[in-house]
Amino acid sequence: MDKRRRHRILMVSDFFYPNFGGVENHIYYLSQCLLKLGHKVVVVTHAYGKRSGVRYMTGGLKVYYVPWRPFIMQNTLPTFYLTLPILRNIIVREKITVVHGHQAFSTLCHEALMHARTMGYKVVFTDHSLYGFADVGSIHMNKVLQFTLADVDQAICVSHTSKENTVLRSGILPEKVFVIPNAVDTAMFTPAPNRLSCDEIVIVVISRLVYRKGADLLVEVIPEVCRLFSNVRFIVGGDGPKRVRLEEMREKYSLQDRVDMLGAVPHAQVRSVLISGHIFLNSSLTEAFCIAILEAASCGLLTVSTRVGGVPEVLPDDMIVLAEPAPGDMVWAIRKAIFMLPSIDPHVMHLHMKSLYSWHDVAKRTEIVYDRALQSSEKNLLQRLPRYLKCGAWAGKLFCLVMIVNFLLLRLLALWQPVESIEEVPDMLSVQHQDEVMEHDFS
Amino acid sequence: MQRGSFSYKKYSYSHHDQKGPSQAIEVHDIYMKKSKTRVILSYVGIFVFLANTCYSLLVKEELSTSSFWSIFVGVLFVKCLRYKPVKKESVVIMPTFGVQLETHFWSGRVIHRFVPIGKILRPVLNECVTPVTCYWSLALMLRGEENLLLVFQELQPPVKMLVPVWKALCAATNGKETCSS
Repeated sequence: MDKRRRHRILMVSDFFYPNFGGVENHIYYLSQCLLKLGHKVVVVTHAYGKRSGVRYMTGGLKVYYVPWRPFIMQNTLPTFYLTLPILRNIIVREKITVVHGHQAFSTLCHEALMHARTMGYKVVFTDHSLYGFADVGSIHMNKVLQFTLADVDQAICVSHTSKENTVLRSGILPEKVFVIPNAVDTAMFTPAPNRLSCDEIVIVVISRLVYRKGADLLVEVIPEVCRLFSNVRFIVGGDGPKRVRLEEMREKYSLQDRVDMLGAVPHAQVRSVLISGHIFLNSSLTEAFCIAILEAASCGLLTVSTRVGGVPEVLPDDMIVLAEPAPGDMVWAIRKAIFMLPSIDPHVMHLHMKSLYSWHDVAKRTEIVYDRALQSSEKNLLQRLPRYLKCGAWAGKLFCLVMIVNFLLLRLLALWQPVESIEEVPDMLSVQHQDEVMEHDFS
Repeated sequence: MQRGSFSYKKYSYSHHDQKGPSQAIEVHDIYMKKSKTRVILSYVGIFVFLANTCYSLLVKEELSTSSFWSIFVGVLFVKCLRYKPVKKESVVIMPTFGVQLETHFWSGRVIHRFVPIGKILRPVLNECVTPVTCYWSLALMLRGEENLLLVFQELQPPVKMLVPVWKALCAATNGKETCSS
């Protein structure tokens, strides 16, 4: 039997704890499961307020909060080359073998992948969101993504729809892209011990109340459902710019006793809100994957969702009712879900989810991607430059210039601070063996 | 009595015991080699800055944005090339009494700082992250104080020199308890 290779992975993203969200959760859970498999994982992100420096999380997960201030939407200021010294230092001192970047919207991720490629390390990129093609922001973002993915070893997407979107946006070869869906912590999201009575049906909505998440659809759907079904109640958790519209809707149709607005719900309390309902309603206008419906299904709720993006790939047909993102269709879907409710057993649903989704499975599949990345051939700068030239008539030449300057800066940095002068860090070990090994590892 | 010594790049480490009133006093020294190039560069930096400032203030008829910028760049230049004339930094461990931190300069000036043994909660090896680099430092956690006290205030010795000092400090502060990081 071949001995499994032990990787030393550097996860890089602007999005990590204490910020809360899908990407942050993904990085954390994936890192914990990779640590359990015996690999070494280090996370690099920017400083959050006063939280700067090195921190250790559960399982010995080391996090570097690099003191670069975020400048817009949690992203570090894109300086192109100024992050090279610190990233080189971290990669050398932790003896990293694979650099794994997350999220196309993260400037730190793009810079880290660029520097890692220049230094000759293997890189893997995971894209978590769907993006458009038409507006100015998307066009620029896609060009940056094209630059990063021109020379990446492997890429991961969270659904087949997301893979199609990433391949079209960046021009990366589809053979290089793996599809590894997200998962859910089924131990945390368990159904209520006692089944809720079906006399009054409670529909739960938990999402950020923004345009992208379909808050405007909710404003149309909720009054119609309340009119058609007198025994239906809504619980709306979350906050955002569209909350005002929902409050106005409540006032207009006098639904104060039938629609509860909870405001922002901390993630630790999401489960307690979910188990108070029968149906989970998701009205997103775009979604690469949707962890929220996984959490709802794990708690035994029947899901009603818009048929957008990667949502149809997430749950089997007996756990979800899909509808087009139009109010009429969504009301019809809710009606169908209400009729399906008596046949739903939350505990059976939870057990089924446990067998379908697990972060350990995601980690094992990601390990295969790392193995594949390490098998790809070593190429020097001259062999890699043609990949950038393909990115466009003007863009290709610009990208080549950026990489050549990066290479020269790396050489200068190697003269200023040679690799031998960067002290390697010993791994966190169990307490009994620390004293003996410390002497050895530091010398 | 000499207990050990070794060198690494521009730093040298030396560990020896001295006779104390009741118990042996441990002394850990870290020396920094004097670099003539750095001394010359620092003087050049100061000269350039002074010349630039005098030109901006005396020769030019009026101060403009560019002269302020050139003075600012001059200040940065001096800061980068500044040479700290530190000869050695010592840690003198007097068991059951306290720890003395000393900084010796080439000019002969010595800065002392004494920390009673009861005030030290724990010596710690920290990884310090800056926007451009990451390095190890040895610090003391003091009872009743929020800030850590750096053991080596001026020098940044390599971690292989910090480890024996850290172990000796742990032994002095904890007695029989073993240190774990």
